[in-house]
Amino acid sequence: MAAPPEPGEPEERKSLKLLGFLDVENTPCARHSILYGSLGSVVAGFGHFLFTSERSCDVGVGGFILVTLGCWFHCRYNYAKQRIQERIAREEIKKKILYEGTHLDPERKHNGSSSN
Amino acid sequence: MAHAAQVGLQDATSPIMEELITFHDHALMIIFLICFLVLYALFLTLTTKLTNTNISDAQEMETVWTILPAIILVLIALPSLRILYMTDEINNPSLTIKSIGHQWYWTYEYTDYGGLIFNSYMLPPLFLEPGDLRLLDVDNRVVLPIEAPIRMMITSQDVLHSWAVPTLGLKTDAIPGRLNQTTFTATRPGVYYGQCSEICGANHSFMPIVLELIPLKIFEMGPVFTL
Repeated sequence: MAAPPEPGEPEERKSLKLLGFLDVENTPCARHSILYGSLGSVVAGFGHFLFTSERSCDVGVGGFILVTLGCWFHCRYNYAKQRIQERIAREEIKKKILYEGTHLDPERKHNGSSSN
Repeated sequence: MAHAAQVGLQDATSPIMEELITFHDHALMIIFLICFLVLYALFLTLTTKLTNTNISDAQEMETVWTILPAIILVLIALPSLRILYMTDEINNPSLTIKSIGHQWYWTYEYTDYGGLIFNSYMLPPLFLEPGDLRLLDVDNRVVLPIEAPIRMMITSQDVLHSWAVPTLGLKTDAIPGRLNQTTFTATRPGVYYGQCSEICGANHSFMPIVLELIPLKIFEMGPVFTL
């Protein structure tokens, strides 16, 4: 069993594993994709049934797969962009703290080049 | 370190491991969807009342189930190859440590600044202090700085071993007569554990690896050199 979290530490969310291996709670974008996929599946399947009155399970399953995949790629792309921006911001803050007031201050370099 | 009965990956302590975890999530989602599709197909097969004994071919279906897996494989292969080449990037290491596998302990050599060499044996259960980890803690840890690229040269004195630290995304075989190289940059301080990952005899499970990653400022003061 994992050690109980220290006071002030964020509690790890209970893991819910779909099919026994996909942890939707602790995998970024997984819960969001699966929920939208389920919604897409219901909309596609029910919509197909309303229009055609034929068996729509196949459309529902296909809709689930396509919507989940689409949401997943879209969310992961944005997540990757966000992580890169966070990393850049962290580096800049660190540089600013280390070099403020010195000749290596990034703000001084930037102001110097813009005034030239 | 891993907690009891842990199945998933440990939290990342290096940028490469972060990328590996991202790739793992990506591959797992694709696997989940494929399993879902297969389970649905199985369910239909078991519950259908349709029977047709005159089917001779199904060209369209065969085309789909050839092209679709090829597309899925490309979707998995591209990020995989990207990370593979990322692990081989030249990043100008500032420190080189040699790690030599023996039956059944590791020897570490810090030869960049002086000739520090020491052995790292697992702490026997009788010698554990309260709070020490059974079968994981060692007498001498490998002390390294964070946020500095480090090169590990890994080899073995006798049989095959493997130097692995899961949280850094590292696993490199220690092969007698061969020098393998791996590099890493740790992003946060702490104590990180690994275990020998190539069967090497009776005590293969009892030759762990322990890295103590400390801020560069403190590392420069020379705690590792006071052994």
